[in-house]
Amino acid sequence: MTSTSLMRIIIFILPIFSWYITSTIASNLNIVNLNGLKAQFQTAIKSFSDVASLHYTLGGVKELGVQLPDSHCNDIKKLVDKSNVESIYHATEAAKTLVNCKLPAEDYRSTLTSVLQSDESKTADIYYAVCSSVNLGLNIDESNIEKRLNTLAKTDDSILSQAYGLLTGAQLSQPIAKYYADTINDLVQQADEIDGRILQYEGGIGTTAFIVNSFYEVAEKAGVSIKTDPKQLIKFATYFSSKRHVATLRSAYYLTKVFKHLCDNKNPVPIVVSRISPSAISPQNPSVLVSITNLLGQPVGEMSVVAESAKRKEDGVVVISKQKLISKASDFSVYELPFYDTKIPRGFYTIHLTLTARNEGKLIGLTDNIIDVKVTSEGTIENAELIVADRDHGAQSKTYKLTYPNAQSDKLELDYHQKLTVKFQIKDKQSDEFMPVQQAFLRFTNKQSKKEIIYLAEATDNGNSQYKVEVDLTTNANDFRYQSDKYELVLILGDSLLQNAYEWILNNNVHLTFHEDSLPDKDYKNLYLPRQEIIHQFREDEKRPPNIVAFVFSTLALLPLLILLILWLKLGFNLSGLPLGLSPLGFHISHGAAFALMFFYWKYLDMFQTIRYLALISIPLFLFGHRVLSTLAARREKKA
Amino acid sequence: MSQLGQVIGILRKLNDEYQISTPKKLKLIDAYLVYVLLTGIIQFIYCLLVGTFPFNSFLSGFISTVGCFILAASLRIQLNTTNRSTFNVTPERAFADFVFAHIILHLVVINFIG
Repeated sequence: MTSTSLMRIIIFILPIFSWYITSTIASNLNIVNLNGLKAQFQTAIKSFSDVASLHYTLGGVKELGVQLPDSHCNDIKKLVDKSNVESIYHATEAAKTLVNCKLPAEDYRSTLTSVLQSDESKTADIYYAVCSSVNLGLNIDESNIEKRLNTLAKTDDSILSQAYGLLTGAQLSQPIAKYYADTINDLVQQADEIDGRILQYEGGIGTTAFIVNSFYEVAEKAGVSIKTDPKQLIKFATYFSSKRHVATLRSAYYLTKVFKHLCDNKNPVPIVVSRISPSAISPQNPSVLVSITNLLGQPVGEMSVVAESAKRKEDGVVVISKQKLISKASDFSVYELPFYDTKIPRGFYTIHLTLTARNEGKLIGLTDNIIDVKVTSEGTIENAELIVADRDHGAQSKTYKLTYPNAQSDKLELDYHQKLTVKFQIKDKQSDEFMPVQQAFLRFTNKQSKKEIIYLAEATDNGNSQYKVEVDLTTNANDFRYQSDKYELVLILGDSLLQNAYEWILNNNVHLTFHEDSLPDKDYKNLYLPRQEIIHQFREDEKRPPNIVAFVFSTLALLPLLILLILWLKLGFNLSGLPLGLSPLGFHISHGAAFALMFFYWKYLDMFQTIRYLALISIPLFLFGHRVLSTLAARREKKA
Repeated sequence: MSQLGQVIGILRKLNDEYQISTPKKLKLIDAYLVYVLLTGIIQFIYCLLVGTFPFNSFLSGFISTVGCFILAASLRIQLNTTNRSTFNVTPERAFADFVFAHIILHLVVINFIG
């Protein structure tokens, strides 16, 4: 046994082995919206704008099993652009779907050859040229193309380019196709994983479908199977099946092709497990019905389906273990699990299913499938009481016992010094325990204005879930906007695990009287109308004393000056010793000028200008002052 | 009663002594000091009566009286011949300082009066 053949055996055994190990991710696959795709193609058939849409629509419809008439051949010939290699490609592909549509090969030969020989061509162009040539029956130089592809692979290693490379390889001979088929796993590794559940390529659904389709095409030509981890295929399948609607015809076409590959028995086929019975389990609906199909909703053959466990979400209690499901349909696509049992308490349950195929097929996604159900139960309202008590003297109270669904017959009159209390419990009929509910409200409806005032009933924390709601007509009066009127009193109960919800009219004729005058209802629409404009108010000046007071005090302040003059005169103030001459004159003038400057500073100037003027004045002031003073000093010396 | 009489007697004696021994120049300056003091008091009373708005004007006026008082008092001290030993300035120099300081005081006061 040579090493290569040993390698081949291992390569073949390994994937088969891995299929039986199978994936351990929960499959979130949905059945494909085939009708949506069909509708999309049917709308497109009505009018074509370009040859690419023609290609995608005709191709898509053919994949879905419908054969279109040959009249479309004329559309193809009309819309094709002979100088554009991509246009030629779409035209030839579209023509291939029709029964008898021959395109004039000679018209396109020149464009195709020039593209194949040009150094500017990208991998996509090469593919278009090769595919068109093959479709038209023209000869191609395989070795040359192979060389071109290798050169291009070195310069452009984007995923799309590699996908086009694969597609081109699929058009060439089998060994070349095989060489490309071996690169599939590398390309799968380059996909982006999102949330651990989805694999996609950059560019969205159309591009991802196109690339995955290229895997299948080249593998088919090479005669080998897709050697990639089934987990990856399921992640791709999750991504594809998650789209209910795609925007472009290209995406729709490649999605259709990919789904057909994924449901083809030659390839690994992902299984879709879904619940087709309602989610609530009750005596009227005691079983869980599960459908097992492929992505297109077709049956996949006989299976053994086992419910490994059914656990309650709340506390993990296991209620079912290793129970086999019963086949209900002749094509083995529907299985039943009887679930309802009086011993199973209400709650949300998760059922883990494991599938084993009877026939040796290439089914993937067989383990770790999850179905969610909920078990509901019937409830009854027990021990319901309505208590009217006085606010201050709590002991004086009247208790009315109520039974569902009867309402109180007489009218109830409540005053602002009373309070109303409603108490009740809800019992689970199956387990005979008192249960808490998700919604428990007491509603007052004003019979005239239909306004509703709702209060929340709260339960005690201990096991018997005693609900109580209290409405005090003085503290809660503002809720009613003090409107003394006739009200209707209703108790509302609901829970997701209760089979029935309650809207129990406790009393239809409740008269409430409040102490204050009624306020109108808050007009909530007014909240969104423009508010009053705020006019800016400047800071008001501070109050000053009246002018007279200021005047009086100003005169008063000048009065001491008078006193000073009088005193000086009394003391014998005289100007006899005043020296006369230039210097004294200069001194007095400059001195006066300095004080005049002060006045001007107060009225007109600023500090800098004043300083400058002051500097100017102080020079003569100093000079003259010095002279005057020295004269005076000399005079004094002479006297002494 | 007698205490009041004693106080009045002392004051009268002080006044007589003052009138006799103080030179005329100093008396003139004293009169000026009294004038400035009165002006300051009147301003202060006004402020007490009508409040401190505008505060800067009040301060400016009040500080002006206080400053004048201080400068005049220091001039008086310097001119007093009995203090010749402590200060070694001529009366003219004292007067020149007085004028210079006043100019600065007035500059500040006018700046602050607002």
